[in-house]
Amino acid sequence: MSAFELVRLALSRLRSSRLRAALTMLGVIIGVASVVALVSVGEGTTRGITTQLRSLGTNLLVVNPGTAVSGPNAGEPGSATTLTLDDAVALAKIAGVAAVAPELATQQPVIAGAKHTTTIIIGTTAAHAQVRNETIWQGSFLTPVTDALGLRVAVLGATTATNLGLGANAVGTDIRIGGIPFRVIGILQAKGGSSLLNQDDQVIVPVAAVRSQFVGGTSVRTIGVSVASVNQMGVVAAAITTTLRSRHGILAGRPDDFVISNQAQLLGAVSSVSTLLAVLLAGIASISLVVGGIGIMNIMLVSVRERTREIGIRKAIGARSRDILLQFLVEALTLSLLGGAIGIGIGLLLSAGIGQIAGWGFVFDPLTLLVAAGFSVAVGVLFGVWPARQAALLDPIAALRYE
Amino acid sequence: MSAPLISVQGLSRIYRTGRIDVAALRQIDLVIREGEFVAIVGPSGSGKTTLMNILGCLDRPTNGHYVLAGTAVADLDDNELARLRSREIGFIFQSYNLLPRMSALENVAAPLIYQGMGRRDREARARAALERLGLGDRLAHEPTELSGGEQQRVAIARALVTEPAILLADEPTGNLDSASGAEVIELLHELHRSGRTIVLITHDGDVAQAAERQVHVRDGRVAA
Ligand SMILES: Nc1ncnc2c1ncn2[C@@H]1O[C@H](COP(=O)(O)OP(=O)(O)OP(=O)(O)O)[C@@H](O)[C@H]1O
Ligand SMILES: [Mg+2]
Repeated sequence: MSAFELVRLALSRLRSSRLRAALTMLGVIIGVASVVALVSVGEGTTRGITTQLRSLGTNLLVVNPGTAVSGPNAGEPGSATTLTLDDAVALAKIAGVAAVAPELATQQPVIAGAKHTTTIIIGTTAAHAQVRNETIWQGSFLTPVTDALGLRVAVLGATTATNLGLGANAVGTDIRIGGIPFRVIGILQAKGGSSLLNQDDQVIVPVAAVRSQFVGGTSVRTIGVSVASVNQMGVVAAAITTTLRSRHGILAGRPDDFVISNQAQLLGAVSSVSTLLAVLLAGIASISLVVGGIGIMNIMLVSVRERTREIGIRKAIGARSRDILLQFLVEALTLSLLGGAIGIGIGLLLSAGIGQIAGWGFVFDPLTLLVAAGFSVAVGVLFGVWPARQAALLDPIAALRYE
Repeated sequence: MSAPLISVQGLSRIYRTGRIDVAALRQIDLVIREGEFVAIVGPSGSGKTTLMNILGCLDRPTNGHYVLAGTAVADLDDNELARLRSREIGFIFQSYNLLPRMSALENVAAPLIYQGMGRRDREARARAALERLGLGDRLAHEPTELSGGEQQRVAIARALVTEPAILLADEPTGNLDSASGAEVIELLHELHRSGRTIVLITHDGDVAQAAERQVHVRDGRVAA
C-alpha cells in the first residue's frame, strides 16, 4: 500500500469519527501549543535582556570605588573616594582600552520653562558616548572642547527631555540645573529597556561643570572602560587592577580599594537563567505531550478492538500484516501530526499575544516548530506502534469470528 | 480432465483450547480441479468452515499436505499466504463481511489496494464488477443502506474483482430469504459457466444440489 493510500485511508477514517479524533488530538494540541508558547516566552525575555545588554555599552568594564573604612558612609559599597580623574587618565593608556569615561553623579532639580523634574546629573567626558553606547538624537554630544573648558552645556536623556516637555527644537535653549543655567546641546536616542533600569532619565554634562557647580574634589563615582574586543576583557581587567593598585599605593597582600565589574557578564548570567527557566517550563509542558500520546494510544487500542472484524476482513481480502500495521500506525501519526499542526498554530497565536502584551513583539524560531513537529511524529510513532502491532498480529480467523 | 487446482492429502486441524484438543478435521483427502463447482456439505460443527479457512490460506493445517495451483502452501510464509489470498482466492461469507462505513464501490475496490493497483483502475474495475452483478445504481451505498441480498452481491463482486482462481463461499445463502438465496446460487452458476472454480460450503442439501459434485463432511472426515 502506498503512503498516499495510507494517509487517505486514515483521513477518511478520522472524518467518520470527528469528535473522537478531535478529543484524542486535544492532548497533543495542548502539549505542542504550550511548548511553542513557552519557548517563545523564554526567547522573548532573553531577547529583551540581550537588547539591554547591548545598550549598556559594548565590552564595558565598570570600575567603582571600594568600601570606605571611615567617614560618614563607612561600610557602604562604593563609598570610598579613592577613584580620581587622574586614575581615569591613567587607565586610558592601558593597551586594549578603547575609551575611558569617568563619571561623577549628583541628583539635582532640573527646570525648563514651567516644567521641572529631579534627575541624575552625570558629569563625564566625550568618551562617554562610546563607553556607554549612547547615540545622539538631536544636536551633539559632549566634545573635547566642552570637556576642557568645563562649559555649562547639557545633553538630555530621552525620558528627561520628555518630562521637561522638550523636543527637537529645544537644542540651543537654556535649562536650569540646581538653579544654574545650562545650555541644551543635544538630546539622546531612547534606549528603552525595563523601568527597573531606565537609562533614559539622565542629564549629561562635562565633568568639570559638575565639579565646579555641585561637588568639589577630584574623586569620581565610576570609571567606565570600553575594551577594544571582547576577548581582551580579562587581560584589560587585570591591567586595570595592577595600574590602580600601584597608583593607590596598595601593598601586596592588602585588598583592592576599588571593584571592577563586567556588566555584560552579569546580564549574561541573568539571561542564561531565564533561558534555563524557559527550557524547564517547556519540559513541564512536554509532559502534557506525553499525556496526549497516551491518549492516542488508548484510543488506538480501543479502535483495534472495535475493528477486529475489519482487520480480519482486510486480511482475508489480501492485506499483509505489514499493511495492517501501517494502516493503524499512519492513523495514529495522522492524529498526532494534525494535533501538532493545530498546536503549533495555537502556540504561535499565543506567543504573538504574549509578545504583544509583554512588549518584545512576536518571537518566532523555526527551530521550535521543527522540534514541535518532530515531537508530534515521535509521539505518534511511540504511542501508535504498539496498538498497530496488536492489530497486525491478530489471527485472521479469530478476527473474523470476533463479534 | 483439467489439472487439479486444489489438492489436499491427509489434512487435519486440531484446535488447542486450554486442555481440550478439538480435532475439527481428520485426515481429509480432497482434489478440486480447475473449473469445477463443488459443494462441501455437512451438518453444523462438521468442520466445513475450518476446511474453507485452510483452503483459503487464512489458516494452516496441523498436519497434511495442501497444494494450491501447484504451490505447496506449507512452505509459504505469512506474506506469501497473504499474496495467495490476494491473487488466487475470493471469499464469500455467510455474514457478508463488508467493511463498515465504506461505500459499495470502496468495498469492492479494497482487495485491489493490496495488489498495489492505482485508484483509477481500482474504481473502474470495482464499478464493472458491481454493474455485472446489477448493482450499478448502488455504488455509493454503504452496507447499512443495502438489503441482505444486495450486501451479499457486493461481497460476491468483491470476491470476483481480483479475478481469483477460486471462489470460496461459506454458507452464502445462510442469511438470505429463499428468493435472494436462489439469486445468489444462480449467480454462482453463471460464474461457473463462465469458467470459474467454485467451492460452495453449506449444511443445506438442497443448496448443495446446485453444484456439479458434492463432498460430504461429517465429524471432520470426508464421508462417502
Ligand atoms: N477457534 C476454535 N477453537 C476451538 N474449536 C474450534 C474453533 N473453531 C472451530 N472449532 C471447533 O471445530 C469444529 C468445527 O467447526 P467449524 O466452524 O469448522 O464447523 P462448521 O462445519 O463450519 O459448522 P457450521 O455449519 O455451524 O458453520 C467445531 O466442533 C468447533 O467447535
Ligand atoms: Mg461454518
